[in-house]
This record gives sequence, structure tokens and C-alpha cells, in this order.
Amino acid sequence: MLELKALTKRHGNALLLDAVSWQWPTVAQSDGVEVVALLGPSGAGKSTLLRIIAGLETATSGEVLWANRSLATVPVERRGFALMFQQFALFPHLNVRDNVAFGLREQGVSKAAARNAADAALVSVGLAGYGARATTALSGGEQQRVALVRALVTQPKLLLLDEPFSALDAALRGQLRAAFLDDIRRAWDGRTESVRRVLLVTHDEAEARQMGHHAWRLEKGALVPLW
Amino acid sequence: MDTSIQPNRGALIPWRPLLLGLGPALLIGGLAVLPTLQLMWFGATATATTGEAVGGFWLGWWQVWADDYLSARITWSLVQASITTGLAAMLGIPVAWVIARWDFVGRGLLLQTLMLPFVVPTLVAAMGVLAWWGPQGLLGQWLAWDATESPWLLIAGNLFFNLCLVIRAGVAGFASQSAAQFDVARTLGATPWRVFWRLELPHAAPAIWGALSLVFLYCLGGFGLALLLGGQQYATAEVVIYTLVAHELELVLASQLALWMLLFTGLVVGLYAWLQMRAATPRTADIRHRKTLTARQWMPVLGVAWVWLVCISIGLAPLAAIFVKAMIASAATWEQVATAETADALFNTLRFSGAALGVAVVLGVCHALVGRRFWWWRVWGLLPLMISPVMIAFGLLLLVPQWLDAWPLLVAAYALLALPLVIQPVAQALDALPNAWADAARSLGATPWRVWWRVTLPLVRPAVRRGAAFALATMLGEFAVTLFLSRPEWTTLTTLIYQHLGRAGRTQLESAWVLSAGLLALTLFLFWLLEEPDRKDTHA
Repeated sequence: MLELKALTKRHGNALLLDAVSWQWPTVAQSDGVEVVALLGPSGAGKSTLLRIIAGLETATSGEVLWANRSLATVPVERRGFALMFQQFALFPHLNVRDNVAFGLREQGVSKAAARNAADAALVSVGLAGYGARATTALSGGEQQRVALVRALVTQPKLLLLDEPFSALDAALRGQLRAAFLDDIRRAWDGRTESVRRVLLVTHDEAEARQMGHHAWRLEKGALVPLW
Repeated sequence: MDTSIQPNRGALIPWRPLLLGLGPALLIGGLAVLPTLQLMWFGATATATTGEAVGGFWLGWWQVWADDYLSARITWSLVQASITTGLAAMLGIPVAWVIARWDFVGRGLLLQTLMLPFVVPTLVAAMGVLAWWGPQGLLGQWLAWDATESPWLLIAGNLFFNLCLVIRAGVAGFASQSAAQFDVARTLGATPWRVFWRLELPHAAPAIWGALSLVFLYCLGGFGLALLLGGQQYATAEVVIYTLVAHELELVLASQLALWMLLFTGLVVGLYAWLQMRAATPRTADIRHRKTLTARQWMPVLGVAWVWLVCISIGLAPLAAIFVKAMIASAATWEQVATAETADALFNTLRFSGAALGVAVVLGVCHALVGRRFWWWRVWGLLPLMISPVMIAFGLLLLVPQWLDAWPLLVAAYALLALPLVIQPVAQALDALPNAWADAARSLGATPWRVWWRVTLPLVRPAVRRGAAFALATMLGEFAVTLFLSRPEWTTLTTLIYQHLGRAGRTQLESAWVLSAGLLALTLFLFWLLEEPDRKDTHA
């Protein structure tokens, strides 16, 4: 379970995180997926916190723990947390299938098996037959699904979502939010026994209410519980 | 996402910067900085008559100005660079404006053709100028004009290489201007001519001034063109340095002359760096669109005709003339060329260039990766562009005379000259890569090395190939360093061409043209071979 201990982050004179201590909450009515939302205005440090948890940035002081074990010396690729980016960060030189298979290949899965798994995962999110397409030929919604399934096939212990809807237009955003959690449930369904945990960073309170079981607001470097 | 304000510049670097930077640092430090410092020290502390150190550091600096011939050569070097720069501005700015503002048949082809001089070897360009403008040249014979009596041959050679620099910079400067600004100026009563003078030209000026300072720099430090086209009467300081070293063994005078050339070069480099900083303005979003040319618009039609006339007469005609001269060469000439001497020269050209290409590409990519994290490291990488090949070769001659018979030194010198050509496109490609891709790969379980291998390298590969193509073209045609350091058994195609020119007889001149045509064809073919696969990928 994720835990933050006295996490502090400074950028020059700006104090983004001020000795933040926090623990993954208990979700009373989990339906297989637990979503915790992290709200806050632009520049509050939400994404920085997410990147520190992922291991892409280091905190000025304090530590991140998983299952009571400090992750200070665990590099990003060995944490088992998948991060989905705001602009999706699909690799432009790989097609959809190889994008999805990327993480599996890094886990030592053979090329053929990784590609088969990628195709199966694409089917689970309604993108059957998309494997050979170039990522640049996809719509915004399709890119988002590919990015999501690319993160999910690696069976992450924790899925970190950084404003996953902000790159989409408003009409599409509302439509996709509901389908998003279904995609996560389907893609993860029956693969592991543990509860699926998602940490969602957003500046949109409606999005947080629709998706999050619990929510915190990052304000002046501190985490304030909302619900 | 806040990553844009928290750049993670190290994400794409697979290894410790210190280790990555060691190779390029050794190459630049050992083959550019140390020889230059040695050259400066030698020139400043020795007397012209005895070659012995006199202890007065500043005394040596002024020796050159006491010699009428040497001071005249420095002055002429500055004058010919100024004339070329002025002509490049007068011819290039109108051409750039027309290309930036009008769409016409062959515009794309013309823009591609403007890349040619970056690929053509110096000596081949000089032979092209002779084949077109020279007393034996196609146009020269038709006009019955002996251009060797004037500095025109040298200026024409300078323009061949440098006009395209001004045109390309001008096109970039004019094409990135805001349409709305011009429309506002017109509604405020400005005529198109006034808009050009008060808005368009000032906006493009930093880019154009930057290009003009480069033109001045290249003309000042140019060697091959001046050696072949300047003759005794219009020899530049670089040619005199070579003559003093290679033929008269006047190392002290040569080094003192080199000191002043380094000083002038340094001043121009400083000016260029300052102009580059000023030119780095953000591009506007509402760029002015080009107009399509129709036959009824006689002014623009005249403008386009002017563009073609300038580009053909300065750039294309000399290259075409080389092939014409080669084709009409006598059978005796072809027999003279088809010998083991040519085969050896071709083999040497390919092996030195091939070995140096490998070194330049590996070290150039390493340098660009480190430069992504430290801006000052990038400036260090441009150093070989700022010091002329003659200075580098002369400095090596003074610094490590005992190593001059070791071919790895020649290969390392080639690699040094090619290094900035690899660094620049790779650094730009790395800059254009969002950190999110590397971060995404890391979060999906890739180690830094795997990120480099699976994400970064495939994405910067087109830039690596482009840099390698330009580097190879430069090395195939390298002349100055080869002439200084080469031994008889290391003769390359460029030095063989030069040897033919030094021998008496018409077939020797014709042989030089045939070899020039061959070297040009080889350079263009290998350049195309390296660049083409990625062009296909891009189109796909």
C-alpha cells in the first residue's frame, strides 16, 4: 500500500510539497478498482507529486513507501507503477501493437507473446484490429485508450493517471470518463488477485467526483482531505 | 501536467555525462584547443629571423605588420571577405524574399538545390568555377575574358559556397513573419515598399546578419578556393601561411600571421554568437502565406526570373561545367586518369573518410547527449567550426611533429572537422524529443539503456543519418588538413586533383576536371545513400 512520509519538494524558492504525510485510504465499497483523486489548481505540484511517486523525480526530503518498504533506492523501472501521461506519450516510431507490447518486452516476454497479449488487450478496450495502425493516425480518444492499455498490460501495482482527459475536447471527455473505468476493470479482469489501485491527478472536481472513491486537494504544499 | 516547467533533461542520457563527454572532449581539446594554443605561444614568443624565443610575449604579435607583403595579405583577406559578404547580401536578400513570398514552379527543387554547396567539396567547387568562369572555362572562352587578371574567380568561388547561406537564412527570416503585422501596417498607410523596409527587413535582419557574419568567417578562413582561384596576386593569409610552412619553412612568420587571423576570426565568431542570441525569437503563429504566381504579374515574374538567373549562374552552371569538361576530355586524359594512382587515391579517400565517419558519429552523438544537460557543452562542440583547418593542421605540425607519419592523426583531424556537423542535427533532434516519451518508457519498466536503445535512438536516427551524410561529404572533399598532413602514400582524390594542376600540360588540367567530376558524383551518391532511407521513412 502506498504511503508518503514527510515528503518535501522545493523548486528554487517555491515550496511545492511541505512535509506531506499520507497513506492510501481504505475503500469501503470497492468494486475491484479503487480510485483516489488528487485535486488542485495548475502549478500546485500535483504532477510533481505523481512523478516523485513514480520515481521520475526525487523529493527534497522525505520518502515514498510501498508495503512499508522505502522506495528511495528503487529505480523507476522496478517500482511496478505505470504512469499515464496527459498527452499520452505514445511512441511515434512504433505502431499501436508495439506501443502496447513495449512494457511486456521490458519484462522479458518474447516478442511474439508480447504482441499476442497486446492484441488481446486491445480487443478488451474495443480497439480490435488497431494493432498495425500508426499512433499518429488515431483520434484523441483512441490514443487515450492505447495509452491506458499500454499501462495496464504490465500489471502495475499502482496506476498513476496524470490529467488523462485534459487533452480531449469537452464533449468527448464526459463520454469517455464512464468508459474509462470499465476499460480498467476489463483489462485487469482476472489477471491478479489484488485490488486495482488508481491515483488520478486532475484539476477538474466533476471528474474527481465521477471517478474517485476518495479525494484530496493539494493546497499550499499540503494535502487536504475532501471526501 | 507540470513537466514543461520542470525539465528532466537527464531522462534521455543513458550513461554518466562525464564518461559520455570524455571522448569528444579529448578530440576537441587535443586536436583543436592544444594545437591552437601551441600556435599562439609559438607565434607570440619567437623572432622571425632566428626562430628562437625572445621572452617578450607581445613582441611577436607585431612582427607581421613590419612586413609589407604579409600586412597586404591580411588586408586583402579582410577585403575579399567583405566584398563577398556585400555581394552575398545584395544578391541573396532579394532572392530570399521572392522565395519566401511566392509559390512558383520549381520552388521546392530550388530550395533543395540550395543545399548542394553544403555537400560539394571545396576543390571541386574551385574546379567548377574554373570550368565556367576561367580562361579555359565554358563562359570564359565564350566571353574571351581572362578572369585570372581579376579577383572575380575567388569571389565567384566564395559566392558559390556562401550565397546559399544568406538565401536560406533570409527565407527562414522572411517566412516566419506575422501576417497581421503587415496588414496593420498597410491599413496605417504604409506602401508595400515601406512595409518591406520598416517591418520585413528588420524582422529578418538578425537571421540575415548571422548568416552574413558566417559568410565573412568562411571567406576569411577559406583555403582551398583561395589556393586555386586566388593565384599569387590574390593570395589570402591562409594561403600564405601554407606557403610559408610547406615551401619556405618560415614557421615563425607563419605562426605570427596565424595569430592575427585567429584574432580576426575570434572577433567574427563573437559577433556571430551575439547575433544568434538576438535571432532566437519565438516564431509567430499567424505566418504570412505565400502567394501563387501567375503569368500576368510581371513584377513577381521578373523577380522569379532573377532568382533562377542568380542561382544558375552562381551555383549550378559551375557544377554542370565540370561534367561538360569531363565529358569532352580527350581519350588520352581518360587513359591518364584510369591508373593505379587514381585507384589508390580513391581507396585512401574512402578509408580515411570511412574511419573518421565512425569516430565522428559516435563522438558526435555522445557530445549531443551531454549537451542536452549542459548548454555550455554545446559551445565547446562548435569550436572546430571556429578554427580554420589550416590553423588546426599547422598547430598539429608544431605540437606533435613526431606523430605526423601516423595515419590515425589524419583520421582524428578529419573526425574533428566533421564533429560539429553530426552534433548540430542530433542536438536539435534531442531538443525536439519530449521528455514524456523517455519517462513513459521508464515507467513501463525500461532501464536507461533500454530507453536509449528502444525509444531515443530510433527517434533521433534520421538526424544521425543526416549529420553523418554531411560529415561524410565534408571528409570526402577535405583538402586543407590533408595537404598539410598527408604523405605521398596517403594521397586522396583532392590532393591528386591538386597534383594534376601542378603538372604541366593540357591533359593534366583535363584530368583534374575528370577527377573533380568523379569526386562530385561519388560525394553526391554517398550523401544520397546515407540520407535517402530516412527521407523515404518520413514520406511514408
